[in-house]
Amino acid sequence: MNVLSCSINTLKGLYDISGVEVGQHFYWQIGGFQVHGQVLITSWVVIAILLGSATIAVRNPQTIPTGGQNFFEYVLEFIRDVSKTQIGEEYGPWVPFIGTMFLFIFVSNWSGALLPWKIIELPHGELAAPTNDINTTVALALLTSVAYFYAGLTKKGLSYFGKYIQPTPILLPINILEDFTKPLSLSFRLFGNILADELVVVVLVSLVPLVVPIPVMFLGLFTSGIQALIFATLAAAYIGESMEGHH
Amino acid sequence: MANMIMASTRALITSSIPPTPKLKPHHHNDNIHPQSNLSIPKIPLPKSLKPNQLPSLLAAAATFTLAHAPPSLAEEAEKASLFDFNLTLPIIAFEFLFLMFALDKVYYTPLGKFMDERDAAIREKLSSVKDTSSEVKQLEDQAAAVMRAARAEISAALNKMKKETQAEVEEKIAEGRKKVEAELAEALGSLEKQKDETIKALDSQIAALSEDIVKKVLPAS
Repeated sequence: MNVLSCSINTLKGLYDISGVEVGQHFYWQIGGFQVHGQVLITSWVVIAILLGSATIAVRNPQTIPTGGQNFFEYVLEFIRDVSKTQIGEEYGPWVPFIGTMFLFIFVSNWSGALLPWKIIELPHGELAAPTNDINTTVALALLTSVAYFYAGLTKKGLSYFGKYIQPTPILLPINILEDFTKPLSLSFRLFGNILADELVVVVLVSLVPLVVPIPVMFLGLFTSGIQALIFATLAAAYIGESMEGHH
Repeated sequence: MANMIMASTRALITSSIPPTPKLKPHHHNDNIHPQSNLSIPKIPLPKSLKPNQLPSLLAAAATFTLAHAPPSLAEEAEKASLFDFNLTLPIIAFEFLFLMFALDKVYYTPLGKFMDERDAAIREKLSSVKDTSSEVKQLEDQAAAVMRAARAEISAALNKMKKETQAEVEEKIAEGRKKVEAELAEALGSLEKQKDETIKALDSQIAALSEDIVKKVLPAS
């Protein structure tokens, strides 16, 4: 009996490590509202990583960059390049938005793949990439929607809404529909990719714990980077689209 | 909290371990038990089972599973949801905005400004270098002129030297010729003198000989 319980305990340990938990959340109560604690914890870690590394690297810039400063300059140039190609010459004010979008999603995705979150046990649910949760992706997608509306309205005023009947008034319903499909596709693309990626890795690990999941993990890293780039590029493209002139 | 952990642990154990032997007879009695697929080889399907009974069998199995699932697991399954929107969404949005402003203060603006300034400085330096290129050209021209002058001077000196040397050589040649001519003339003169002397001596000898001849030929008659 003792042996049995012991083996059950080890089995349970293995199950906990490699167990598949989908849609399990670690709920916190804040003023009568429920929040997903695991998402908030990992997002704080991601924010801390981003702010900390940026502060350390950029604290004392040198004319000839080395190490961290070099890397952050490269990242900034990359973000500027993405913003410039999508938005055009007036990309300047949008660099923080696009850049934070890219960096937050990228670091979130990679943290889900690289940081050993599962070592920290939660009473319920498990720590994973913040982008693994629909709340995060929808929040980011809605912010993108707000951003492109803001961009269009500040650039063109109320004549921004003229774009809804732009090629022909017949397209009005489709143009209105676009405003809903844009955040929907943005959020579900990111959510689905990251969740599916983590699930594939977890399932493979639970089936074959050695060697086999490694290529899939690398594929996951690749996918994560691509998804961050896609999200940032599309956000910039939407902003650029709403800012460009209609003839 | 501890109670919750305990409850979930118990649920996981009961759900993860295979049915205990105690339950076996029950399985044999009841062929439509959903977990009978764990011991399929042992349990032959009843011969009376017809294919059209299968849907109802499955339905019965499903109802059994739902009825006999551990209550805590059912509760968890009910709670588990992928599309569970709540206060997390606005909190994440505010965290994102906070991160955006913070990164803008810490990263984008300072480093971007620094990079732009450095770019401007480098461009300025480059353009100033382009301006001095005319100066460089002037210097190059000057150098070429100096080289040309030096070359001309050298060739002139060379010519002059060549001419001088040639004159010297010619002079020396002429001198030598003169010397040789003088020596020749002297030699010729001395030769002539010797000839004259010899002729003179011969003349005197001729007279004496002729006298002797005459004396011999003409006896003292």
